[in-house]
Amino acid sequence: MLGEFEYLMLSAAARLGDVAYGAAIRQEIEETAGRKCSIGALYTTLDRLESKGFIKTWMGEATPQRGGRPKRMVRVTAKGAQAARDFYGAVTRVSRGVSWETNRGMVRP
Amino acid sequence: MSSIGWQAAAVASRMLPVAEREAVLGDLIEAGESSGAALLGVLGLVARRQAEAWMDWRPWLALAGLTFPLGMLLTLVSRRTAEFSAIYLWLYVNNWTPAFIENPSFRHDLVSIVATLILECLTLACWSWTAGFALGFLSSGAIPVNGILFSLVAALVEVLGAPKYLAIVPLFSRGRDFGPNAAVFSLTFYRVLFPLLIQAALVLLPSVSGMRHGVRLAALPVSPRAIVPTAAIATLAAIGLQTWIFGLRTLGLPRPPLLDAWPNQLLKAVIFGWPIVYCAASALSRRKSIHLKENHA
Repeated sequence: MLGEFEYLMLSAAARLGDVAYGAAIRQEIEETAGRKCSIGALYTTLDRLESKGFIKTWMGEATPQRGGRPKRMVRVTAKGAQAARDFYGAVTRVSRGVSWETNRGMVRP
Repeated sequence: MSSIGWQAAAVASRMLPVAEREAVLGDLIEAGESSGAALLGVLGLVARRQAEAWMDWRPWLALAGLTFPLGMLLTLVSRRTAEFSAIYLWLYVNNWTPAFIENPSFRHDLVSIVATLILECLTLACWSWTAGFALGFLSSGAIPVNGILFSLVAALVEVLGAPKYLAIVPLFSRGRDFGPNAAVFSLTFYRVLFPLLIQAALVLLPSVSGMRHGVRLAALPVSPRAIVPTAAIATLAAIGLQTWIFGLRTLGLPRPPLLDAWPNQLLKAVIFGWPIVYCAASALSRRKSIHLKENHA
């Protein structure tokens, strides 16, 4: 079973597709989930997901706006997609009928 | 990347693997982080990496078995080497006279003492390299902490003058006997500065080089790598044995019969000098692989 932050990271990487890399995933999480994502949490979680076989990473191109430093590119594997699907299913099932699910309009963002 | 904060972040990032370091710094630059935030981000990642590394038993073994005992032992050996060398340096440098060369007996003494000094210094440097190598190999990811602690132990033992405190141990008490050589040790250079120089040149620098080689070897997935740490551990055991024999001799006690066959100074230096052979072989192999890559490209 995935952890919450692992799920956020897999979802962000899947949403970004071919342009998923460290800084982009971090920005995506901060914008969509509205929570701070430290560089330490990002890289240690990337390693953990990779060791579980949920993502594949490799060093990408270097760009001038990065000071000529390469990106760590990320791709979600089939196993990772399955783990995210399972997590989403479990969260959906366990949330059925609870107050914040039935009265979603009343919940403050 | 020009502010002090960014420079500090770049320095802190050196505790991360090269590929990760580059990607992390690139991400921080791209995100337009302030220098303070970048430094905190890098330090946070380093702390997490260290916490992960220390979950393994090997860094703890290295800390308890190598960092503290070897840091102290090498400092004490370094102090003895410095005192021994200082006496002859003072004799031949501060009191030089052409008679040292012209007189056949003096010339013989000079050659023999210079050879002994070189051998002593080389042996200490090789011991330090081996200690650093074993520390790097065993600590691997935890080497920033273990390496800093090793250097701190070595520096503090020297700076705080631990040999003086350890004078209650008979093995180390005689090395502080400056009486017959008071003329040498009345000079601040030989009493204070020279031991620090010897410590930096023959303990700290070689041990840092050994750590780098040890970490590099630990990352290789090849089986022959087991040979090198075995040699390192054998050498460390030999250092312990050597110190013990020296302690017996200092106390005027007879050596155990089995140790009577302990090899002479030159052979010992050859045995302990394997780091030189290893470094040379390693440098040649790296040069060859770069050459092959260039040819291939």
